[in-house]
Amino acid sequence: MLTRINIGPIHPSTHGVLHLVVDLDGDTIDNIEPHIGFLHRGVEKLVETRMYMQSPPYMEKIDYVAPMSVDEAYVAAVEAALGIEVNERAQYARMILLELQRLASHLFFIGALTNDVGQMFTGFMWGFRDRELILRLLEEATGQRMFYVNMRLGGLANDFPKDFKEHVLDTMNYLSGRLKNYESFLEKNPIFMQRMKGVGVLTKEDAIAFGVTGHVLRASGVPYDVRNNNPYYFYRKLNFREQTLSHGDNFARYRIKIMEMRESIRIIRESFEDMPEGDATGQMVKLRSPPVKNKTVTVSREAPRGEVMMYLVAGDQKPYRLSMRTPTFINLHVLNHIAKGNRLADLYSILGSLDVVMADVDR
Amino acid sequence: MKVEREELGRNIERAKSSGYDYLIKITAVDYIDNVTVIYFFRNLAEGKDATFEVELQPSDLWLVTIEPLFPAADWYERELQEMFGVIIRGRKAERLLLEKWDGKAYPLRKSFEWGKEYTSG
Repeated sequence: MLTRINIGPIHPSTHGVLHLVVDLDGDTIDNIEPHIGFLHRGVEKLVETRMYMQSPPYMEKIDYVAPMSVDEAYVAAVEAALGIEVNERAQYARMILLELQRLASHLFFIGALTNDVGQMFTGFMWGFRDRELILRLLEEATGQRMFYVNMRLGGLANDFPKDFKEHVLDTMNYLSGRLKNYESFLEKNPIFMQRMKGVGVLTKEDAIAFGVTGHVLRASGVPYDVRNNNPYYFYRKLNFREQTLSHGDNFARYRIKIMEMRESIRIIRESFEDMPEGDATGQMVKLRSPPVKNKTVTVSREAPRGEVMMYLVAGDQKPYRLSMRTPTFINLHVLNHIAKGNRLADLYSILGSLDVVMADVDR
Repeated sequence: MKVEREELGRNIERAKSSGYDYLIKITAVDYIDNVTVIYFFRNLAEGKDATFEVELQPSDLWLVTIEPLFPAADWYERELQEMFGVIIRGRKAERLLLEKWDGKAYPLRKSFEWGKEYTSG
């Protein structure tokens, strides 16, 4: 006989407002129906009523753990529609900021995940403390801790401040040492490993069929990363390698995040070396060359949670239509498939390893 | 690539067998005189993308589900039904995914009126 339990919408382990209706056979999961939409704000419709550069503040609230990544994808789509070039220094500056954002987001993931597997409070505190160091750097560069709105057409709102490079490189040195601490602390912990190894397995075939993206796809053995397969800015030049594992379980998804953080640190160091002198500032609006009406552009970016795709149909002064492919919408869809047959106690670690942000799911 | 509604299923099957086995997204644009539904596919091995565009008359909005071929289509098709009123044939009755106005308002259609109070269904 099946028992039905309701988890959420308000629950510390649902990462926002998510309602899970779980059918249980004993304590084995038989079926999960996620009820989403609690944070649906209709951003795609709101964008149609705003001038192009009035929308970035909305974009930042799509994924509030990594606001800059969605904002940058939107601004890049507008730049493609209007035919605006980004100069070399600004491209490097954006890469550095986006990789810092990725580090902050991944550290948030480690903190939240250790909380989900019952590893309170050390992992949580470590993750959030180190994330705060990154946020401090981002505040130094943009003036804000979280919602930056610093992307402008053709560049950034402000060029990097004096001494920013030294501060970033100091923090990167500290962080690459810290990553070893995370590994030894978590991977030698038998409780953590029991909740992660062999739990929530997603095979390569299913990962492709369910269309998952980001670390979930790469943890299942599909080597697809937009930064490598469809590179933008200078990722091609930096010899970027995507990180892939083949087990497809919770542990592989966690490992991918740690490996990506190392890769991000490397990208930041190399970007500072190659970054030319000049001015990285862009402009707020540029309407001298009005967009071709009904011109469509598709822009893909590798955000911390997976591929963000912007499909923009340009209007006169406003977007005619903006369709977003947000990564966690489709990563959450796979939850029922991978959690089936696992124990209820493992549900939180599986959900945590998918790294969902509900605002990103619901838009 | 523009295709007719009747040809869509066959085209998607052919694309899948030739390596385009990853569904990126299904979305739509309301151009007022037609609603264009766009399917984005990807060949992961070669890193190539392909799109199929289907133009539908606003008085005759329906498509056949591709969920049996692509499980990823599930939530995208439900979103399409709620946001654009495109009826997806071959799906069983389901609860609403994102919206609350069942059959009364389609928010991403251009006919949606701002400020009007739609009653929930």
